[in-house]
Amino acid sequence: MREMSGQNRFAFALILLSLLLAGCSTQASSKYFGKNNVPKNNVLRYISGSEPESLDPQVGTGQPEARIYTALYDGLVEFHPKTMEPIPSIAESWEVSKDGTEYLFKLRKDAKFSNGDPITANDFVYSFRRALKPELLAKNAYLAYPIKYAEPYNAKKSFVKGADGKFLVKSDFESPDAKVEESPDEKVEKDKDGSGSQATTDNFGADTETHRFLDEPERLAVPSDKESLDALVKDKPKLKAAVESGELVPVTEEHLGVEAVDDFTFRLKLFQPAPYFVGLLTHQFFRVIHKGTIEKYGKDWVKPGNIVTSGTFKLVDHKPYDEVVVTKDPNNWDAENVRLDGIEFYPMDEATSMMNIYKYGGVDAVYNHVPPAAWNDQIKQFKSEYLNFPEVAIEYYTFNVTKPPMDNVKVRKAFSLAIDRDALETFRRTTKTLVDFTPEGIFPKYEEARTKVYTELLKKQGSSLEEWRARKFDPEKARKLLEEAGYPVKGSTGNYSCPDFPINDVALLYNTSESNKDVAEFIQAQWNQNLGITVPLKNMEWKTFLNVRKELAYKGMGRAGWVGDYMDPYTFLALFYTENNDSSTGWYDPKYDKMLDDANKEIDPQKRFEMLAQAEFYLMQHQPVAPLQTQATNWMKKPYVKGMYPNPGTLHPWKFVYIEPDESKWTQNAEDIMKISDPSVDQHVDRLMASQTSVEDKAKRSDAATKKSGE
Amino acid sequence: MINFIIRRLLLVIPMALIAVTVTWGLIRIAPGNFYSSEKKLPPAIEKNIREKYGLDKSWIEQYGIMMWNVMKLDFGESLKFEGQSVNGMIARHFPYSATIGILAYILALIIGLTAGIIAALKQNSYFDYGSMALAMLGLSVPSFVLGPLLVLVFALWLYILPPARWGGISFLVLPVVTLSASYAAYIARLTRAGMLEVMRSDYIRTARAKGLDEKTVLLKHGLRGGIIPVVSFTGPALASLLAGTIVVEKVFAIPGLGNIFIQAVLNRDEPVILGIVAFLSILVMLFNLAVDISYGFLDPRIRYE
Repeated sequence: MREMSGQNRFAFALILLSLLLAGCSTQASSKYFGKNNVPKNNVLRYISGSEPESLDPQVGTGQPEARIYTALYDGLVEFHPKTMEPIPSIAESWEVSKDGTEYLFKLRKDAKFSNGDPITANDFVYSFRRALKPELLAKNAYLAYPIKYAEPYNAKKSFVKGADGKFLVKSDFESPDAKVEESPDEKVEKDKDGSGSQATTDNFGADTETHRFLDEPERLAVPSDKESLDALVKDKPKLKAAVESGELVPVTEEHLGVEAVDDFTFRLKLFQPAPYFVGLLTHQFFRVIHKGTIEKYGKDWVKPGNIVTSGTFKLVDHKPYDEVVVTKDPNNWDAENVRLDGIEFYPMDEATSMMNIYKYGGVDAVYNHVPPAAWNDQIKQFKSEYLNFPEVAIEYYTFNVTKPPMDNVKVRKAFSLAIDRDALETFRRTTKTLVDFTPEGIFPKYEEARTKVYTELLKKQGSSLEEWRARKFDPEKARKLLEEAGYPVKGSTGNYSCPDFPINDVALLYNTSESNKDVAEFIQAQWNQNLGITVPLKNMEWKTFLNVRKELAYKGMGRAGWVGDYMDPYTFLALFYTENNDSSTGWYDPKYDKMLDDANKEIDPQKRFEMLAQAEFYLMQHQPVAPLQTQATNWMKKPYVKGMYPNPGTLHPWKFVYIEPDESKWTQNAEDIMKISDPSVDQHVDRLMASQTSVEDKAKRSDAATKKSGE
Repeated sequence: MINFIIRRLLLVIPMALIAVTVTWGLIRIAPGNFYSSEKKLPPAIEKNIREKYGLDKSWIEQYGIMMWNVMKLDFGESLKFEGQSVNGMIARHFPYSATIGILAYILALIIGLTAGIIAALKQNSYFDYGSMALAMLGLSVPSFVLGPLLVLVFALWLYILPPARWGGISFLVLPVVTLSASYAAYIARLTRAGMLEVMRSDYIRTARAKGLDEKTVLLKHGLRGGIIPVVSFTGPALASLLAGTIVVEKVFAIPGLGNIFIQAVLNRDEPVILGIVAFLSILVMLFNLAVDISYGFLDPRIRYE
C-alpha cells in the first residue's frame, strides 16, 4: 500500500501538470485573452479603482473618482476622447480676451440637470463659488487659484481698506529686494509689464459692475488671523504701517472672478494669463452641480435618491466597495448621441483580482496600470486588447538639495547620468526613457519648441543637442563630475569604488510596492556598477513616506511620480513654482518663477512653449531630480469595447464609448487605435466642435483684418 | 450562572475601552495623517481642516472627546468618505463578512466533524492517515495561496465560477471554500483527538456496559464530550471569521469589514479604525462568553460559580 500512495502522488502530479499545460495551450492558441462576454444589455462593466471618496466632484480628488465623475457631471468643456484637449460641452463656444485674463463662455440653452432643471450660467457661478468655499475644505481648490481672488477667498484672507477709504493695491507692496537681482534692462521690462497689467480695463463682453471691479488693479489680500498677519508683516515696515492704519475686509465669494453676464453667458477673470486654463476646465473640480439639492440635503446630497447630476449618465445605485451603477440620462443635452444604456463601475484595488475577473469575462475594461509586470509577456501578445501608450505622467527620483552631498549640483548630475535609462526601459517593459521633466510623446508642439530652444541654448554653451540627449546615460561624465565634486571614483570597469563618498548621508527612499522595489534595486545596481557607490534602500508605507518626503526629512534620494492635471507642460513645470512648492526637493529659484510667469503672459502659444522650454532647460541644469521614465497606459479593454481610447490620462468621456456586438468590427490591432478613424466617434466630436471652430475662425479673420488695416 | 454572565459582561466594557485606547495611541504614533497627499495643502486650508476635526486641541482633550464619543457608541464620521457614519459603515459591511464567515464555518464543521469522527473511530486506517494528511495540508496552505489556486482552476481554466466580486451564490463558492479549508482541517484534528480521548474514558465504558447500542454511545455520550475542544475553538474562530478576513476579502474583492478595515488603516481613517476595533473586541468577547456558557450544557462536569 505504501507503494500505492506513491503512485497516487504521481497521478496527482500528472493531473496537475496536464491542467497546467491545458491552461497554457488554450491561452496561446486563443485570439483573445480569456472569455468575451459581450454585455447583452448594452451596459458597460468597468473597474474604476479604489472606492470613490465621494460622488461630489468637488470633494473627491483621485483618478478612481474622476473615472466616475466624467459620467455623472458635465462641465463647460469636455475632453477629446483621443487627445484630451478641451472640446465644447455645456459651453458651445468661448473667447479669450486679448490680454489672456478673461474668458467668455457661451452656454447652450438646452442643457439640463438630471431632474430636468435647466443649467444656466448662474449654476456655474454657484459651482465655482462652492468649490472655493473655505468650509468645503476642497483639496483640489489650488486648481482654481488662477481665478481672480480665488486664493484669498479660499484661504480666508482679507483686503485692506486704507484710511482714505481706498483698498490697498498689491503691486504697491511688492518688494523688489525679495526678488532676484535683475539686470537693468530686465527691470525696465518688468516696469513696462507692471503698468501694462494695471490698465486692463477693456470691453470684453457686457459692461457690468462686477466686470469693472474685476478689472481694477489687483487688491492686496492679507491673512485675516492675527498670528499669520504678524508673521507676514514682520520684516516689511511699509506693509505693516499700511495694514495697521487700515481696516481688514474679508474676501467673500462675491469678489471671485466668476460672473453670470446673462443666463447663458459665463465670464471668468484670471489673475494673470493662464493659457492652459480652458484645458483645466475639463477637470471634475469645475463641473456643474445642482444648488437646490445641495442646499436641501447638505452632505447627504450625493446619496442615491437625493443626488441630482449634470452628466450624460445619472446615478442608479451606489453600494460602497461593490458597485456604482449609472444609467443614461434622457434629460442630458447630448442624450441622443450617447451610445451606452448604462455603466457599472466596480471599485477594486487588487491588481491580480482585477486581471482574473477581466480574463473570466466579468468586466469589459479595467483602468490603466492594472496589469502587473509579471503578466506583461502573457498579455502583450493579445494585440486586440492590450494598449500601451504614453501617458501625461512621469516617474523620477528627487534629490534633497538642502542636505550635503546632494546640495552639490555636480553630485546630483553624476547620480542622474549614471543611470542607464534605456536598460531601465527594457527592464520595465511598459515605460519610456525620460531625460527632461515633461513627459515624452504627449505634447508634440511643446517638444518641437523645446528642440528649437535647446539647440540654440546648447550652441551658446558650446554643446549640442546630441550631447544633451546623451544625458540618458553617460557614466564616464558622471565619474568625472563626482571627481570634480571631491569624490574621485577609483578602479576600472566592473570594479569601481568611491571611498570618499559619504555613503551614510544618502539613502534611496521609496513607498512600499513591488514595482517600486524592482526599480530601486535596478538603479541601486546601476549606481554601484557605474560609480562604485552602493546606496542603501529604504521603503515606507505611503502616508509615512509622503510625510517624510514633504518635510525633506529624507537624505539623498526619494521616489516620486507626477500625473498632469491638465494637458499642458506647465502642470509639470509648476511643481517647482514658488518657495513652498510641491517638488519635495527643497529646490527653489525666483529666476525660474519669473521665467514661468513671463511665459504664461505670452499670448502666442508657440512662443510661450519656447519660453517654457527655456525654463525647463534652466531647471534641468540644476538637476533637482533624476528623471526616469514617461509612464504608459499599460491598459486592457475587450475588443468589442469601442470609442474608448488610451488617451494621455486614460480618462474616458463616456458618451463616445459603445459596445460593438458585430465581431467583424471589433478592434483588431490596438496599436493603430489612435490613428484609425472611427466615423461614429469622429463625427460626434466634429459636431460638437463646430460651434467653437466657427468662433475661432471668425476671430482669426478679424485679426487678419485688423493687421491688414494696420498695414 | 447569572452572576457569572453579568460579571463577564461587565468586563467587556473596560476591555473594549482598553483596546480602543491602545489603537488610538498607535494611530497617533504613526506618521502621516488622513489629509496628506502628494500635493501640499495651502497652510490656510490645512488650518481649517485641523480646526474642523479638532486636531488643534491638546492630545488629552482629543483623547477625552474620543473616549466620550466611544462610550456613547458614537464613532462619528469617516474622515475619508464624506458623510458616511462609522456605525452605518459597520452595519453595511458586516453582513458581507458574516455571510461568508458563517457559511465557511458551517462547511468547516460539516467536513471537519465528519472527517474527525470517522478518523477517530477507524484509528490508524487509511482513511485516518489520508484525512489527517489532508488536514495537515489544509492547515499549512495559507488562504492567499489556496484562493488564487482555486481561482486559477475554476475561474480561469474551467470558466465555471467567478473569480471575484459579490453577486449570486456562484460568487460565494470560492471564497467560502478558501476560507473554510484551514478551519475544516483544524476541526478535523480537534475532533479526532477529542473523540479518541473520550471514547477511552470510563463513562463510555459504563455506557457500553449498560448495553446501549453503539450509535447512542457515540452520538449521545461520546460526541458531547468529544467536541468540547471544537466548541472552545468555535468562539474565537467564528469571531475572527465574522470580523472579515482581510486576505480572502481582498483576493475575492468582497466588500466586507476586513476590506474596509485595511483601507481605513491605509487612509489613517481614525474613526473607522476605532469603530471596527471596538466592534470586533466586543464581538470576540461575546463569542468567548457564549462558548463558556455552552460548556455547561455539553459537559455536566463543568459548573459555574
